[in-house]
Amino acid sequence: MTPPNADTSAIVLDRVVHRYGDTVALRDLSFTVEPGEVFSLLGHNGAGKTTTVRIINGLLAPASGSARVFGLSPLVDGAQVRRRTAVLTESPTLDERLTARETLRAFAEMYDAPAAEIPRRTESLLSDFGIADRGNERVGGFSRGMKQRLALARALVHDPDLLFLDEPTAGLDPVATQQLHSTVREMSRTRGRTVVLCTHNLVEAQALSDRVAVLGEGRLLALGTPAELARRIAPRLEVSIEVEPTQTDVAVRVIAAENGLTAVADRGGVVHVSGIVRDAVPSLASRLVGAGIALYRLEPHEPSLADAYFALQHRQPAVRLTDGGDE
Amino acid sequence: MTPLIVLPVLLMIVFPTIMTFLPRMMGGAREAFAEMFRNLPDPVRAQFGGFTEATWIRVVHTQMLAPLMLLVPFMVANVIAADGFAGERERKTLEPLLYTPATDAELFVAKLLAAWVPAIIIAFGGATVYAVIVNVMAWPVMQRVFFPDLTWVVMVLWMAPAFAALGLAGMLLVSLRVRGMQEATQLGGLFVLPVIALVVGEVRGAILLGPGMAIVIGLLVWVIAAAMLLFGVKRFKRTSLVAKL
Repeated sequence: MTPPNADTSAIVLDRVVHRYGDTVALRDLSFTVEPGEVFSLLGHNGAGKTTTVRIINGLLAPASGSARVFGLSPLVDGAQVRRRTAVLTESPTLDERLTARETLRAFAEMYDAPAAEIPRRTESLLSDFGIADRGNERVGGFSRGMKQRLALARALVHDPDLLFLDEPTAGLDPVATQQLHSTVREMSRTRGRTVVLCTHNLVEAQALSDRVAVLGEGRLLALGTPAELARRIAPRLEVSIEVEPTQTDVAVRVIAAENGLTAVADRGGVVHVSGIVRDAVPSLASRLVGAGIALYRLEPHEPSLADAYFALQHRQPAVRLTDGGDE
Repeated sequence: MTPLIVLPVLLMIVFPTIMTFLPRMMGGAREAFAEMFRNLPDPVRAQFGGFTEATWIRVVHTQMLAPLMLLVPFMVANVIAADGFAGERERKTLEPLLYTPATDAELFVAKLLAAWVPAIIIAFGGATVYAVIVNVMAWPVMQRVFFPDLTWVVMVLWMAPAFAALGLAGMLLVSLRVRGMQEATQLGGLFVLPVIALVVGEVRGAILLGPGMAIVIGLLVWVIAAAMLLFGVKRFKRTSLVAKL
């Protein structure tokens, strides 16, 4: 990875520490996010995700360490930083007394959008998020999903360079979720915007993220692409092996003879093997063939980000992984 | 938000109407009102002369009820400020504002004006309506436009904005310390005590509110409110506000 450049990187956090009274919320947190990346912050509740977002946006001052956003200090140049960022908070936090249109207009004005541009931008967002026909209704009467869509529209009203999405699909139906995923991909890939996703939804993080950072108790536990993390942290695979149905018992015995492997056969002649490392798959196949077993299909199941995440949570704080690999 | 409607209507329309016609409505108790009038402080009686329906109307509107008018800007500013500071926090709508490019000073000034300007508009509008109603109702007795007098004009133009500033400054300080709107309203309401003291002092004769006294009291309230606002603005920081979210 190229070294981070504080002036061109979207975000550079350098050994950031933050405390709430005696509680340490962030411990020497360092990472870099490049422009155009979709970057996920993962971690249990209290891991430090929200605190990180607040520090990056200049809402909190770190006790030590530094944050830079597009080369600017959020504490010194807070207004300039926030002009280029947007945050979709975990709950929609809309003023329920305003209409959807009023909400978008008010925030467009707060970001100094040109007056002539505001109606076009507002209508376009209302239409994109499927709430144009209810634009003049008060937000208080909206469903949770509609509020979430409006909150996202509000976050996009000034066309931010850096978008933070905190649990963005909570409360959204599958169609709206898919639409949001498309929006995130479009912002990143087509328009070069940077997206930071804070989520507990590991499937979503794996599907959308270029890289993920796993936080635990304010520490960076792991950083890398979802595939890298999965391979590094959860190296053991599950493999499905389809054999001649009359030979499943033999296949299970051959596999079980291998150290540390477990095998279970189903009625369709498929043997499910778990606990195998990638490098051992070819030799296992050779042994089965050598034992006279007719082998029709061998399908390794790659470990997911979820596998890596849970493995990591069980191993912390003894094991920490970052871009540099195991510590 | 109900007090924003109820209080001005009550203090600037209903109450003055009743007080204007009280002696006439309670005809049999006219002597009781005369006795009440005789018990007023000497300076007040000296200023208005003996008890007649006309003097009753003048005393009621220029002395007894006048300070009550200050409750309107105070309460309106107080209620809106509670909603703007503690209420926003309670509804969790403060956080998106903190993420906007608005500076701390801009947010502070916006919230102050959002409370102060409506309070002044309601106070000035209410005072105008009050003056019209009083003159119309009292016309059969007074046969002239007798209201407002100079003291009342000073109160409306000088003291009312000051009391509005006091109301919102008090609520600002309270809101910076509490989390909920109810708690803020209860504690912030304590700042109404100076207005109540003024009303009681006026009725009891301890304070005889003339134009000079109104300017002095108004100046005092302005200074107190300004000091409280300065104290508050130093604590109105994103980094402090977000800690209470």
